[in-house]
Amino acid sequence: MVTPLRVFVVDDEPLARNRLRELLDDCAEALPLSLVGEAGNGLEALDKLSLTPADVVLVDIRMPQMDGIELAQHLNKFPQPPIIVFTTAYDVYAIQAFELHAVDYLLKPIRQARLLDTLNRVRLRAPLGGEVLQQLQPESRKYLAIHERGKILLIPIEEVLYLRAELKYVTVRTIQREYLTEESLTALEQEFASRFVRIHRNCLVAKAKIEGFERAMAGPGGEAHWTVKLKGLNETLPISRRQQSIVREFG
Amino acid sequence: MPRAQSINQNPMPDTLPNCRSSGVVLRSVALLNAGVLGIALIQASSWSDALAYGLRGFALLEPVLFSVLLLLYLLQPRLSKLPYRQGATVVIAIAAMISLLFCVLWPAVYALTADNSYFDLTRSVLLGAGSSAVLLVYFRLWRQALSPALHEARLQALRARIRPHFLFNTLNAVLGIVRSQPKRAETALEDMSDLFRMAMEEGHDLTPLRKEIELARRYLALEEMRLGERLQLNWEIQPEAEAALVPPLLLQPLLENAVYHGIECLPQGGVIDVRISTNGRELVLEIANPHPEKRGDFKGHKIALDNIRERLALLFDVEARYQVDAARDHYRVRITVPYLLEA
Repeated sequence: MVTPLRVFVVDDEPLARNRLRELLDDCAEALPLSLVGEAGNGLEALDKLSLTPADVVLVDIRMPQMDGIELAQHLNKFPQPPIIVFTTAYDVYAIQAFELHAVDYLLKPIRQARLLDTLNRVRLRAPLGGEVLQQLQPESRKYLAIHERGKILLIPIEEVLYLRAELKYVTVRTIQREYLTEESLTALEQEFASRFVRIHRNCLVAKAKIEGFERAMAGPGGEAHWTVKLKGLNETLPISRRQQSIVREFG
Repeated sequence: MPRAQSINQNPMPDTLPNCRSSGVVLRSVALLNAGVLGIALIQASSWSDALAYGLRGFALLEPVLFSVLLLLYLLQPRLSKLPYRQGATVVIAIAAMISLLFCVLWPAVYALTADNSYFDLTRSVLLGAGSSAVLLVYFRLWRQALSPALHEARLQALRARIRPHFLFNTLNAVLGIVRSQPKRAETALEDMSDLFRMAMEEGHDLTPLRKEIELARRYLALEEMRLGERLQLNWEIQPEAEAALVPPLLLQPLLENAVYHGIECLPQGGVIDVRISTNGRELVLEIANPHPEKRGDFKGHKIALDNIRERLALLFDVEARYQVDAARDHYRVRITVPYLLEA
């Protein structure tokens, strides 16, 4: 007996989800599958999928707040990323990109035969590479997804003051509090190069949040060095000797 | 011999410029005065000289010009009934006659060379006829330059308003209820065919606003099926406004923009405000929608808006106004057109 394919549906339109539910029902006769859940937006999808994993996620591209491609980027960072199949009614650019990178997609209205065909095929596929998703959407993500006690928190990237690597994790600091993420500082630096600047081997700060620079003494008898003060934050962060030039650039 | 004619070849008939439209009057005044300035510059040998020539030129031109315009304004209803050639001849004759009249009645001012009155009289006729002929050619070219745009705009409007995104998503939504709520699916398909029929109708120049509102409601009923409670509407229509004549497909593309760029992008949706009012002279249509805060990207809005702007310019020239207020979290379009009633 084959284990049924676990399918999850994300679409902001209830009737579109309805349609997919019925089609999946029809497909179940030919292919063992189970609909493990559905969501109306990106956050709900991340939340539910972190609790009940799925093999295949059908993701609508055009959704409010977080579009399908960003959702796929977050899903891809799961320990066991699901296979993503995009759905769209009409999006010339996205479809061109999908064809180019051999990404699976379904055109709405979706035909049952096409859905069945796709589900049969993707079972054997490896999840999309991160680079492919990056190419589908050259813009950086709008949120960081933080896994915390079985929940997923979405932190808008514009609220982040600094990112600091600490042992195994990276600390994400907003005005309210700190979060931990497993993403690497180097990858974050590359993705958000226009937003953050490196002030230290282990620290990136948001350019827009820099309030000023101060001279400080490092320990008793130590040398004076520069620190950066961020808006709304009392602590100051040390700037390493190699990054001193940013004081002139942003000061 | 009968000429073969494709149905696509449907050139706009030449028509005289409407001398009761402020655009035509403003353009005539501006062009002729610019001409006077040009002549003054050519004649002059210094700046103060040019100013003197210019002022003298204006003083001579304006009484003649405004008399001609006034007469054309009064004759407009009759002139508009004439075939183009005859109408143009009448206009040129009027300009020549009035110009001659000024020369005869006020020789002290208009007869520049007292010793050569024959020259003066001929010159006034030539100047009057010549400048009016130049203006007529200008208006004809201007209209020709715009008329393919009318055609193109119509085609583009057709493409823009039946946005494939809307068509396929709506079909998908209907398929989503076909099994569970067949009655509702039927209504939706009926709405859809009404909407497309009205949208594809061979357009007249103007259509009653009542029909435009009905088209808009059909469209919005379909969007409501798809978006559910996310789409809220607030109509405020002054009853007198409904009888007004407007260019077809004015309202629906604006509403589609409001849904596509506003409501659909908001997880909680929002309210589209439609306000239509008139003061008896002008008709004001205002559509406002919330949209997510972002770094001002209104490109999508632009296509439909450019199209509407172009059609308004063609139909009403400077008498139609068009304002966009794109704020951080809302978008408002306001269109003002002359208040016209069905004959």
